[in-house]
Amino acid sequence: MIPPPIVAVVSADHLSKWYGQVIGLNDVSVVVPPGVTGLLGPNGAGKSTFMKLITGQLKPSKGAINVLGEPIWQNPALYFRIGFCPEQDAFYERMTGLEWVTALMRLNGVSDTDAAAKARRAIETVDLVDAADKKIGAYSKGMRQRIKMAQALAHEPELLILDEPLGGMDPIARRKTIRMIKDLGRAGRSVIVSSHILHEIESMTANILLINQGRIVAEGNVHQIRDLIDEHPHTVYIKADQTRALAREFLSQDDVLSLKFEDDAVVVQTAKPDAFYARLTDLAASGELGGIHEVTSPDDNLQAVFQYLVKS
Amino acid sequence: MRVFDLSLGQMLWSRRSVFLGILLGGPVFLAAAVRLIVEMSARGFRINGATASGSAVFGLIMWLLYIRFIIPILGVFFGTSLIADEVDDKTITYLFTRPVPRRAVLLGKYLAYVACTVLLVLPSVILVFFLIVPMGGSTIAGAFPSLVTDLGMLALGLIAYGAVFALVGTRLKRPLIVGLVFAFGWEPAVMLFPGYLKRLTVAYYLQALVNHEMPQDSAASVLLTLFHEVPSVAMSLLGLAVIVAVSLWFAGRAVENREYVLEQ
Repeated sequence: MIPPPIVAVVSADHLSKWYGQVIGLNDVSVVVPPGVTGLLGPNGAGKSTFMKLITGQLKPSKGAINVLGEPIWQNPALYFRIGFCPEQDAFYERMTGLEWVTALMRLNGVSDTDAAAKARRAIETVDLVDAADKKIGAYSKGMRQRIKMAQALAHEPELLILDEPLGGMDPIARRKTIRMIKDLGRAGRSVIVSSHILHEIESMTANILLINQGRIVAEGNVHQIRDLIDEHPHTVYIKADQTRALAREFLSQDDVLSLKFEDDAVVVQTAKPDAFYARLTDLAASGELGGIHEVTSPDDNLQAVFQYLVKS
Repeated sequence: MRVFDLSLGQMLWSRRSVFLGILLGGPVFLAAAVRLIVEMSARGFRINGATASGSAVFGLIMWLLYIRFIIPILGVFFGTSLIADEVDDKTITYLFTRPVPRRAVLLGKYLAYVACTVLLVLPSVILVFFLIVPMGGSTIAGAFPSLVTDLGMLALGLIAYGAVFALVGTRLKRPLIVGLVFAFGWEPAVMLFPGYLKRLTVAYYLQALVNHEMPQDSAASVLLTLFHEVPSVAMSLLGLAVIVAVSLWFAGRAVENREYVLEQ
């Protein structure tokens, strides 16, 4: 029996987008296959522009973009099949998490009862049941990220588009979200997830698109890229209760290259991000050095890799 | 209707609504003060030396406060911000990535605006009516049919101004300033002079539906009376319907074609 042809979830054909004199995306032709795909690039690379084009928020200046086989611009019916988790931290703050997700579900044409049920299931998936009836205005950054994910997932879309979904999450939530994304891929859903952190993308998928200065610089297997990034130090910003105790712990490991304190956070440079994140997750889970509230990573080291890729 | 539900809750409890609720308390407070003064003095309320009935005073308040100020202001503040507020709050993404045509999102928000403003204005008018009309010999029963007409006229004003300023809000930069200039500059100016320009205003059609005599409080009002061409009720209703339909159609088109680029 001949298997059905693989349909691209996103196909861009000589896609360009400019804002006046500024080029956001420059002649991009790419096919995103089903499964989990990472979109990796530094800030200002064109990730958000690409995300906005594939979610129909922007119209191409030139070229074409199809999502799930159809043009997305001015095609609202396609949103039955797409779930989008935007990067911006914006909500109807007066509503509870459950109310908000339910209200957005109702916009999908679902009955009130079904909307509430689907919202609850989505909130369970993102592990936010205890806070479902609290106002979003009282949520922490990580909880806000998770409720955003819930609204994207609730209608069980074929394609999930996640714009920097792990930003501001604590290590435990980060690990759970990564696992959830991988589970979605295994269950046959397609996910496009953007990040400026290679390690995050790598933990979710081997299939990546590398974007820089509005162009797709590379696409395919992440392991080839990985070898390059390991040559460059990886910076991690950690907000925690006991920064000094954490710092003492980090300094006892030989992969930590440097360390400094900023307000109530510690900023670490490490040569082995894999091992570092694994250790950090264990520390967060055990709680032996207090609570770890936020883990983020600027992309300055990635910039050097991109420059290297462009030259080569 | 689901956008209506979502938007109504947001609008009713927004800072904008609280502020305008306080604004609408102004006429009620004024009416209560006038009633108290009249009750305490024996002379009754006087306009240009003559004792005025409660109905006349109510008519004055309707013209000066509601028709010329409150209704247009509500239209400007709410109508211009239907989509703009969601853009400023960066929540527009959630509405525009749902399987709802953008035009329907705008319409849902517009209907929520109508419901919200009617809920704010009509109780204010009713309270003023019950405070003022019993003065100077008028009776509530006698004036009640006029109140019903007034409430309908004010609702039409909110509907029409809201639609016009929804269009302004979706098409122009600085819609609040443009809206205020339109409502308090263009409309009053154009209404003063003969010609067809006044037919491009909401005020022309709305004022034809007002039961009460226009106050002669300034030279502008005298000019207005001199050149006052009053369309028929049917023509006024038709004119307002056309204004609403055309404004909402073009506003919907603008929202469908526009790209909303949110700053990160």
